Amino acid sequence: MSKSYDAEKETFMGVPRKKIPWCPIIDYDKCNFCMECDKFCPHNVYAKNNDEKQQLIVKNPYNCVVFCRACAKTCAPDALKFPDKSEISKLIKKLRSESSGD
Amino acid sequence: MDKSLGVIARSVALKLIENRPEIQLICPVLLNTGDENYENFIKSSKVIVIDGCMTRCATKLVEKRDKRPFKRIFIPDMSKKYKIKPRKELILNEENEKFAEQIMEEISEELGEDEVEEVSKSREFEILDFFDITVDKYYFKVPKEGYYFNENDCWIKPEGKKALLGITDYLQNAAADILFVEFPEIGSEIEQFDDAGSFESSKTVLQLISPGTGKIIRVNKALENNPELMNQDSYQRGWFIEIELKDFEEDKELLMNGPDYFEYMKEKIMKEKNNLEQIGSEKDV
Repeated sequence: MSKSYDAEKETFMGVPRKKIPWCPIIDYDKCNFCMECDKFCPHNVYAKNNDEKQQLIVKNPYNCVVFCRACAKTCAPDALKFPDKSEISKLIKKLRSESSGD
Repeated sequence: MDKSLGVIARSVALKLIENRPEIQLICPVLLNTGDENYENFIKSSKVIVIDGCMTRCATKLVEKRDKRPFKRIFIPDMSKKYKIKPRKELILNEENEKFAEQIMEEISEELGEDEVEEVSKSREFEILDFFDITVDKYYFKVPKEGYYFNENDCWIKPEGKKALLGITDYLQNAAADILFVEFPEIGSEIEQFDDAGSFESSKTVLQLISPGTGKIIRVNKALENNPELMNQDSYQRGWFIEIELKDFEEDKELLMNGPDYFEYMKEKIMKEKNNLEQIGSEKDV
């Protein structure tokens, strides 16, 4: 296994990582496929793709560090968006209280 | 001082000495004649240079004495910023007076900040008790008490209604030598997990992801000239920003204390070490 993170077992603040929908969203109208984000991200979130229209994809969304938006700084055409942070922290709090109630 | 912006420069200087009695005025004409009293005074003081026009005489006079001004005000630039048009008349009108007042206040504010910063530099930090671990050539510490952490490897240290924020040893080791810092704006409001500034090393650009919600009241200006403090002393002298807390009890719900973060960090370090070794062994195959 060469992948850096075992997404199945990962948790964030005690919540299974796969239950937290945090990852970049590529705006293909803006993206110019410069691949700067892919070069930057140490967690292999992005990957090159053979599709002419989508040469860049979010291949490992759950490798993305929750609340990290550092790759967006490398994006000149401003094509990377992230989910609403406060919605995500609300969700994490909810999931945590549910699991502690078990 | 034969043009209207020059007269404004003069007015700024006069207003400054009226408001800040510790400031002394240097007469550029006398300085140019090579007055010896001024020579020593300039050497031992912080110098604020106010230039009223493009010839920048005041700057030149100071630089001739191998002195780097503490602050340089260039009235033509300021007048563009505040949309003040130069006039023909040399007597200041109401708008000019206000403009001079604004510039004076800006300078004065900056001087105030600087004094606070001097205090913080010399501020004695308490002696902390740490958990620590050495992995390969890296040494990691985590304060046992008084600090709270998020999983993004940033810390918050509440002190009453205020809190200092910074990065942990994990993050400074990951970044390697930090070369530049970019602070958020003082006065801006941030929420927990917002991006609260960034720092850059030769390896990467990283963000400080705020462990708390509040208003930014201070940034550690010492890092602009000494960013290495973040590597050398990430929990104290390398602090990044200070905020006025909104509701720390709520923030705490998604934070870890020292012992918990140390366990979390150790696990993360070991996982990365294993992954690196795995990649290494796969390459060997």
